[in-house]
Amino acid sequence: MLESLLALGGLVLLRDSVEWEGRSLLKALIKKSALCGEQVHILSCEVSEEEFREGFDSYINSRLVYHDLFRDPLNWSKTGEAHPGGPLGALRAMCRRTDPGPVTIALDSLSWLLLHLPCTTLCQTLHALSHQDSCLGDSSPVGQVHVLGLLHEELHGPGPVGALSSLAQTEVTLGGAMDRASAHILCRRPQQCPTHQTHWFSILPDFSLVLQEGPPLELKANPDPHTSLVDPTSHLTFNLHLSKKEREARDSLTLPFQFSSEKQQALLHSRPGQATSHIFYEPDAYDDLDQEDPDDDLDI
Amino acid sequence: MAAVATGGTGAESSGSMAAAASKSNVTSFQRRGTRASGTDSGGPRLVSIAGTRPSVRNGQLLVSTGLPALDQLLGGGLAVGTVLLIEEDKYNIYSPLLFKYFLAEGIINGHTLLVASAKEDPADILQELPAPLIEENCKKEFDKDECNRKTPESNIKMKIAWRYQLLPKMEQVKPTSSSRFGHYYDASKRIPQELIEASKWHGFFLPEKISSPLKVEPCSLTLGYIMLLQFIQNIIYEEGFDGSNPQKKQKNILRIGIQNLGSPLWGDDICCTDNCDNSHSLTKFLYVLRGLLRNSLSACIITMPTHLIQNKAVIARVTNLSDTVVGLESFIGSERETNPLYKDYHGLIHIRQIPRLNNLICDESDVKDLAFKLKRKLFTIERLHLPPDLSDTVSRSSKQDLAESAKLLGPGCGMMAGGKKHLDF
Repeated sequence: MLESLLALGGLVLLRDSVEWEGRSLLKALIKKSALCGEQVHILSCEVSEEEFREGFDSYINSRLVYHDLFRDPLNWSKTGEAHPGGPLGALRAMCRRTDPGPVTIALDSLSWLLLHLPCTTLCQTLHALSHQDSCLGDSSPVGQVHVLGLLHEELHGPGPVGALSSLAQTEVTLGGAMDRASAHILCRRPQQCPTHQTHWFSILPDFSLVLQEGPPLELKANPDPHTSLVDPTSHLTFNLHLSKKEREARDSLTLPFQFSSEKQQALLHSRPGQATSHIFYEPDAYDDLDQEDPDDDLDI
Repeated sequence: MAAVATGGTGAESSGSMAAAASKSNVTSFQRRGTRASGTDSGGPRLVSIAGTRPSVRNGQLLVSTGLPALDQLLGGGLAVGTVLLIEEDKYNIYSPLLFKYFLAEGIINGHTLLVASAKEDPADILQELPAPLIEENCKKEFDKDECNRKTPESNIKMKIAWRYQLLPKMEQVKPTSSSRFGHYYDASKRIPQELIEASKWHGFFLPEKISSPLKVEPCSLTLGYIMLLQFIQNIIYEEGFDGSNPQKKQKNILRIGIQNLGSPLWGDDICCTDNCDNSHSLTKFLYVLRGLLRNSLSACIITMPTHLIQNKAVIARVTNLSDTVVGLESFIGSERETNPLYKDYHGLIHIRQIPRLNNLICDESDVKDLAFKLKRKLFTIERLHLPPDLSDTVSRSSKQDLAESAKLLGPGCGMMAGGKKHLDF
């Protein structure tokens, strides 16, 4: 499941809620990207660095480039650790990276950024972040950019959530039933129909993902009402079907004004340059072929 | 309107009858169309602009939208100087197609293009335009579609009506791309590169323009909109679409395409919040844009994600400020996808508004239930046909389902499927 989420590139939006939290899935994706050799940038706003790095082994921790906005977001202590531009400056600095190779940028969380930045600015910056490969002037092969954003959907109204989901290439909505978590994945490929998928999973303490079977579904109560196709020719008081003998008899019936086939062909393909007209005579059953003139019998 | 404003000395071929009547005082009754010597000898020979034709109803100059089916529904085409607003479908799959058809039609007719987008580079949009269907190919396309549906009985020679064997099948009007108005396009092929290079186009990509900010006075329009309006105004003035350089240049139409207007990428937060600071930014933009269009020989297509706009009053204002409004509603992801009524189609198309230009009434068609489907290569718009109402052996529950879903359709569908109860005759 993680490969499919990371395959498409662009913005991956993880929508979680209080009951089904998404930070562990975010960390699982980060671990997967780090193990694939990508460079991972993390912009952390909601949890401290120790808490975030907890659970990752030392190899992964060494590959993470950590931008901490939790400790001192407004740069009050003026130690110079925090980014001078605040969160927007940090994001814009990430837009201007120059080193090639695939990179994953994890934003924890987008909700925090939405509360501190105007929504339009955030959308424009996210769009610039996720489309860096097309914006470079020279044709150096820049790898794919993955932007993973964690959004707590209960904190926002339908407006910002709708705006962000229209920007996202992949959208994962976390839910679940009983005590199993599920992820409903919506993939928007360009110019193709979006695909929906649901996976049941659980995340182990070392942030690797295990797919599971879903809980037993309840039986469908109402059967499909559209299956029964009714034949309207049944239960009629008259017969609409023909038996084979009847069909043969019908075919061999001569129609009242039927012409012979030569006359038909001549009428269908009438030659335009014909000066004379033809007379087609086919004797009827009642025709008398006697050459004598019947008027000879008259005694005038 | 644009036709009259830029008339100048010679009236356009749109047949402005009053102007012609004043020249020849004999009679005000003039024949429309090509004037063969005769009455109008004083004025210069009328030059018609490629790709336009006068409307048969009010003489308004029309351009094609790229889809002949849509042209027919809009009363012949899109009037020059007006705005066509497309309300995007939820996942934005079909509205870019209409956008691209409009631009491709401009390239085929030799019009100048202006493409504005905040999401994609205009050069990339132009690369993805569909290729035009040439006549021999399109006959083959239609025949291929036909034989998929051919039933075996149609091959039997007719015994009673044998004279009709030689008559051609009149089921479908075969499109001819050789007509000068309205062409057919193959959505699976890209437009040839040489056509794009031969055409004249201007692109406006917002992230590039924002990085080099101009001096703008603060007003209540967002920065992206101000820059776009200035860009459009410059192009119209420099290239003479508003009649400012009338002499030598041959008149041409400017086709403007603006993609995803109102989305947060333009800097407009109308999709994000319910009551926002710049709530009048979009409406002012449309108002100024329409003023620019009315004074020039141009036509504009705008796609807007209205499903994201939270404030319904804004949608109503936007509809009133545009001239022609077409809404797309696709079935993906909704419960209608599995509904057997809609199984042949990909979505519904709603013609929400048609303008009244120099008229008291507008040209709306009687058909209100229209559906579209994207076949392999063609985008077709058809009237939604209900499946036949079966006899009384069908169970009541399934009939009610059909009736319920048919009630969502407009009244033009026939009252047979409306109403809950099934009447036994």
